[in-house]
Amino acid sequence: TVMQVSVINTVDTSHEDMIHDAQMDYYGTRLATCSSDRTVKIFDVRNGGQILVADLRGHEGPVWQVAWAHPMYGNILASCSYDRKVIVWKEENGSWDKMYEYTGHESSMNSVCWGPYDFGLILACGSSDGAISLLTFTGEQQWDVKKISNAHTIGCNAVSWAPAVVPGSLVDQPSGQKPNYVKRFVSGGCDNLVKLWKEEDGQWKEDQKLEAHSDWVRDVGWAPSIGLPTSTIASCSQDGRVFIWTCEDPTGNTWTPKLLHKFVDVVWHVSWSITGNILAVSGGDNKVTLWKESMDGQWACISDVSKGQGAVSSITDTQQSEQ
Amino acid sequence: MEELDVEPTTTNIPASEGNHLGFVWGPGDILVYDTIYKSSGSVGTCSSFIHEVRKDEDIYSPILRKLFNESHHIFVGLQTIREDLPNKNKKTQFVSISKNYRSVIRACMEELQQVSILLAIELIWNLCEVLFIDAAPGGSLLLHLLDWVRLHKADVDEKAQEVLQSESPTEHHGYWDVVLSYLMQGRMDEARQMLVKWGVLKPAARSMYKQMDNLLSKMPVYNPGGSQTLTEFDVKWRHWHDMVDHSLQDNSFASDPNLELICKILMGDEDAILEQKDLLSTWYHFLVTRLLFSHPTVKPTELHYYAQSCLAMFDSRSAPEPLDSILLAAFEFDIHQVIKDCSIALNNWWFVAHLTDLLDHCNLLQSHNLHFGSNLREFLLLEYASGLFTHHSLWQLAVDYFDHCPEFGRVYLEQQIEHVPLDTERKALKVLRICEQRQMSEQVRSICKIMAKRALRNNRLGSALSWSIRAKDAAFATLISERFLQDYCARGTFSDLDLIDNLGPAMLLSDRLTFLGKYREFHKLYGENRFSDAATLLLSLMTAQIAPRSFWMTLLTDALPLLEQKEVRLPPKVNERNTWEPEMSSLYNLHQKKVLSTINWLVNVDV
Repeated sequence: TVMQVSVINTVDTSHEDMIHDAQMDYYGTRLATCSSDRTVKIFDVRNGGQILVADLRGHEGPVWQVAWAHPMYGNILASCSYDRKVIVWKEENGSWDKMYEYTGHESSMNSVCWGPYDFGLILACGSSDGAISLLTFTGEQQWDVKKISNAHTIGCNAVSWAPAVVPGSLVDQPSGQKPNYVKRFVSGGCDNLVKLWKEEDGQWKEDQKLEAHSDWVRDVGWAPSIGLPTSTIASCSQDGRVFIWTCEDPTGNTWTPKLLHKFVDVVWHVSWSITGNILAVSGGDNKVTLWKESMDGQWACISDVSKGQGAVSSITDTQQSEQ
Repeated sequence: MEELDVEPTTTNIPASEGNHLGFVWGPGDILVYDTIYKSSGSVGTCSSFIHEVRKDEDIYSPILRKLFNESHHIFVGLQTIREDLPNKNKKTQFVSISKNYRSVIRACMEELQQVSILLAIELIWNLCEVLFIDAAPGGSLLLHLLDWVRLHKADVDEKAQEVLQSESPTEHHGYWDVVLSYLMQGRMDEARQMLVKWGVLKPAARSMYKQMDNLLSKMPVYNPGGSQTLTEFDVKWRHWHDMVDHSLQDNSFASDPNLELICKILMGDEDAILEQKDLLSTWYHFLVTRLLFSHPTVKPTELHYYAQSCLAMFDSRSAPEPLDSILLAAFEFDIHQVIKDCSIALNNWWFVAHLTDLLDHCNLLQSHNLHFGSNLREFLLLEYASGLFTHHSLWQLAVDYFDHCPEFGRVYLEQQIEHVPLDTERKALKVLRICEQRQMSEQVRSICKIMAKRALRNNRLGSALSWSIRAKDAAFATLISERFLQDYCARGTFSDLDLIDNLGPAMLLSDRLTFLGKYREFHKLYGENRFSDAATLLLSLMTAQIAPRSFWMTLLTDALPLLEQKEVRLPPKVNERNTWEPEMSSLYNLHQKKVLSTINWLVNVDV
């Protein structure tokens, strides 16, 4: 179905420089933004409003990403910056403060992503120094740090967690039994690679190396699980390509790439909707396109335009329309 | 199969020149912002605005909310129809349910200004009901189609009223239009009633009028409930058809162009009928009229030939619109194409989801497996329900839809229910009940933990404790019990006594909680002057080692007054054989010794 959208609210963040990331919390009531002006701001956006709740200062360089932890742990937000730091902020008694500051890397921290809440409070961070850190909160203001050095040569640009349950186990599991939890995440780097990581016996190991891109991988996204035996990952790169990787078997060994589209410019960002059936792609062509999965030979509710994919709708900026 | 080529729509967001658009999914809405992606550093200016963008879904329209609410009711009813009923009974029920859905649509149409899409929906649904659900055979089929056309071309009656109320109806410019319209809708009696006025005024044309009236009155109409078979009806009809032809051939109406035209139409003359394009206004009206006067016994399988040619004849110039393609697909009995085209053409899932569900119940959908392993019906219901979930109150309706999606409904519900804001305790309880009813233990735990944490942050210890208990979260329960005890030490009283007094078996969740409950019980006993019971309890608290060390001083302090109570009786002691011993005479001293020996024990324990 063609999806029509309209702007319902505009928040003036008053950031003094470029905004690099904005994230809604779980309930859509709070908005966190971060900017080159080195600040992280939090707004209450209930009922179309915009009230500044916090203006967090602590970074010494542009802040690239923010990520909300699961509300079960309270109001917690992570941010990462060019200043090599990852800061975890927490709201206590109505005010936001630094809960933890991590400075274990030698260059810019590019990406942060909280793991599924089943694993506790665990944060993956990717850095331009090529390493990835896993920070786990162990209680009493203590964090356990595990570092994967040389995850990607030159640098790591993005990290994204896999859903907590091993695919397929939801379907096969006799009720009452605890599902098979395996900690996995995907990363993308300047070595043009997409890598899958798995924790085994408390150690992080490289599980898969996915090669398809011919330039830096800018973003990766592991699709939320809808209980299928398949796993799906999206990756985008400076080579203008977006690949969808699928793994049919529950052991996670064979990943098959499918080219979603070759764009004319760098593709910077991919993200999955909550139920994982729409992929948003933002690229250098000033557009955001939404893609809905439709499979070959199968009835698709959008269109059978090309072999399996169809653009649903696109959001462009005004410049585009005036051309 | 014809493909519907639909362009993706473009929405423009005000943004600075040369910048990129950042994008992020919210739980309900989407965020879009101005940014520049660069591999290193950042240059240029951009706005500090972040735009919240939302799908233009009808769920935000208050009138359509009525549609969603009432159809939800019908949907749930449909799911619970008994499978073991005989097919005939089921069919009646399905038709009735289809009519219920349609009446809800019509009710909304009356209130909503923007009716066109609802009109289209009702038109399509009605046709689907006739062709697929009711599945009328030849004979009845045409009658149903006539009903269908009449329902959707209701302006005839308005026009008729206007004409009849005028000074001189037969002189009214719309008079013959009305007559023709009635005829083309097969409303012979009404046509004759109109014609009578003309007949009365023109004595010279009396015989012509009488002849025409005769023809009209004799037109056979199939009676599905009657004893006449379709073949018999066909014979009769052909006979009548020949009569009409006869009148035309021998120029009975040649002197009056209007009657001549009527005669031609009765003969099923395509050109004559087509000339009335303005009155017909749609190709499907033309189709039904043409069938009425040339092939009233049309069978379902023959429909598509006629449909295609009528569409082509009616408007050869313009390209078919989505609605036309959908109706054509229906006439071709291609259910899947109908659903597919509707999904593309209409901007909401409501229609396709409910219609497909109904058709599925009628066993009309082939088991059409999608990649996801589920079927078409479930796919559409999931899409529809997911859309509802983003709404602050309609999300509750969505739950029922997910419940009736056996394959993925549960997991979709699990994922989406986590994003329902738990604004109030009442709402949290509502969400919780839904999860508990479905044994979604992970979600239950998660919600209770969130609420417990929130309560603790707001210093509502009692609430925090009851949420922890509900979450079966021992660690948190311990934490909160500690807080209670700390509070007690600080202020000398307990808060939330009601809760603590009525813990019941929940007390066993954590040691600290058990201690809290028991300690409070001690105070109660003391307050009721039941000193021996209080003393027993105190002793057991100390010896059973569930008392936290930090509390021992307090306990000892509590024990002191007991030493002075002369009325204290020795509590019955349990001996090695686990039987109670009777009380002894030198009660007081023995008791005192007991307390002192316990203190002794405490003092000597390794801290």
